[in-house]
Amino acid sequence: MTLSVSAFTWLVSIATVVTTLSPLLLIGLFIRDLRRGTLW
Amino acid sequence: MNGPETAVLPAGIAWGILGAFSVLWVFLGWYLGRRARTVDDYMLAGRNVGLALATATAMATWVTTNTTMAAPQFALQLGIWGMVGYALGSVGLILFAPLAGRIRRLMPGGFTSGDFIRLRYGNTAWRVFLVISLIYGLGWLISLGMAGGVLIEALAGIDYRVGMSVILFICVLYTLLGGLRAVIGTDFVQTILILVGLVILAWLVIAQVGFGEIHVTVSEQRPELLNLLFPAAIMFLFNNLLFGVGEIFHSNVWWSRAFAFGRGVGKRAYLMAGLLWMPIPIVAGFIALATPALGINVPGADMVGPLVAGELLGLAGAIIVFIVVFSALASSVDSVLAATSDLVTRDIYKGHLRRQAGEREVYLAAKTIVVVLGTVTWALCMLRLGTLGAVLQFLGAFVASTIMPIVAGLYWRRTNPWGVIAAMVLGTVIGLYSYFAIGFYVAALVSAAISMALVLVTTWLWPRDFQWASLREEPLRG
Repeated sequence: MTLSVSAFTWLVSIATVVTTLSPLLLIGLFIRDLRRGTLW
Repeated sequence: MNGPETAVLPAGIAWGILGAFSVLWVFLGWYLGRRARTVDDYMLAGRNVGLALATATAMATWVTTNTTMAAPQFALQLGIWGMVGYALGSVGLILFAPLAGRIRRLMPGGFTSGDFIRLRYGNTAWRVFLVISLIYGLGWLISLGMAGGVLIEALAGIDYRVGMSVILFICVLYTLLGGLRAVIGTDFVQTILILVGLVILAWLVIAQVGFGEIHVTVSEQRPELLNLLFPAAIMFLFNNLLFGVGEIFHSNVWWSRAFAFGRGVGKRAYLMAGLLWMPIPIVAGFIALATPALGINVPGADMVGPLVAGELLGLAGAIIVFIVVFSALASSVDSVLAATSDLVTRDIYKGHLRRQAGEREVYLAAKTIVVVLGTVTWALCMLRLGTLGAVLQFLGAFVASTIMPIVAGLYWRRTNPWGVIAAMVLGTVIGLYSYFAIGFYVAALVSAAISMALVLVTTWLWPRDFQWASLREEPLRG
């Protein structure tokens, strides 16, 4: 039973998009904590 | 085998990158840790870390060089289930989220995972746990140090021993200067670098090779890698899941963060870190699956990731991978170093050797132990034992035996302490036997199963009572 090309594409595409958005989310959280004075 | 003939990065550029980032990490370590005066400041970053830094440090610590190098290795050995199985390592982070909240509530003055085991199950269980935890901590440090040496040699042709020594020295230096605050602060920068570098590589692989070509070439040359019924790979998937859960549940790396994160932060930070970490091994594994399409000859399984990037993107790819893996390496070495030295300081030095030691003595001991641990790791890395995957999976037998004792200890008042001791000892021994008799992919699985059965049966037959309030005792104060 072989993984189809479309399933392979979906799996990797979703993983890549989530990984692309992660740094933006972390930087946004950092700015929010910095403004609130809750970094540490 | 990993000599200059595989190098894709001139040694001069590699030394330049190493130098620039080393200065940055050491400066950040000094700057963030310059006001630390107490054991709480040094070991637990003041116990009030916010959500952004908490999430980033959990992610960065779990994104190790083992993720960026062993995930491609497993993708080429076990195919699609190798990638997905590695990604399931994030289940440990997600499941630890509620535990982190409970740990903070039950032990507001706690320092280490050893404190919990001692107060919950007594001294014998504590000592068994310390053996497991210290073997694991040292094993993880060695695998990370080896990964650093392998990477530098593969990419820049710099001798394994030289590269590994430089990386360990830098990590020891900034951890020594700033303690956990330095570790967490540098982790944030390192997380961003890792993610951005990996994303650039992934999009370039997609653009230059494409899903269709990779799928067709793998189907023709290595069809087993796309087989959804690849038995060893399915065993690996469950084994890796349990290994990840065991690593996180027992390790002081994660417990010290649970104590260090601000009130209400731990649960959200671990959950978010787990969800954001999950796709990373899939992306790293996908890059490795491009090797058949690119016609790359991989001389050593450890070097899959660096070689793909170098082959596909030339100098730019080699530089990106170098920065990504150096960041991943530093973010994990510093964390494991700090957490393991905390464990040695609190549970061995203060707990066994110098019970009367005061705050100042413990603070200085913590710094000394960081240096000693770094030196021991360096000496063992010089021996270069096995491949990264083999070193990692060997440890699975140890850590998986602690999953049930930790969970039962946190939530089940009647857990039998002697059952817990038997679970950790027999789970580890039988798990190790399975590692040698069957294969690396079952060690954690067998260990966790044996341990769980023993905790359940002994507690069912001989239940013990426990008062949660006794966990609030200030541990090992001088």
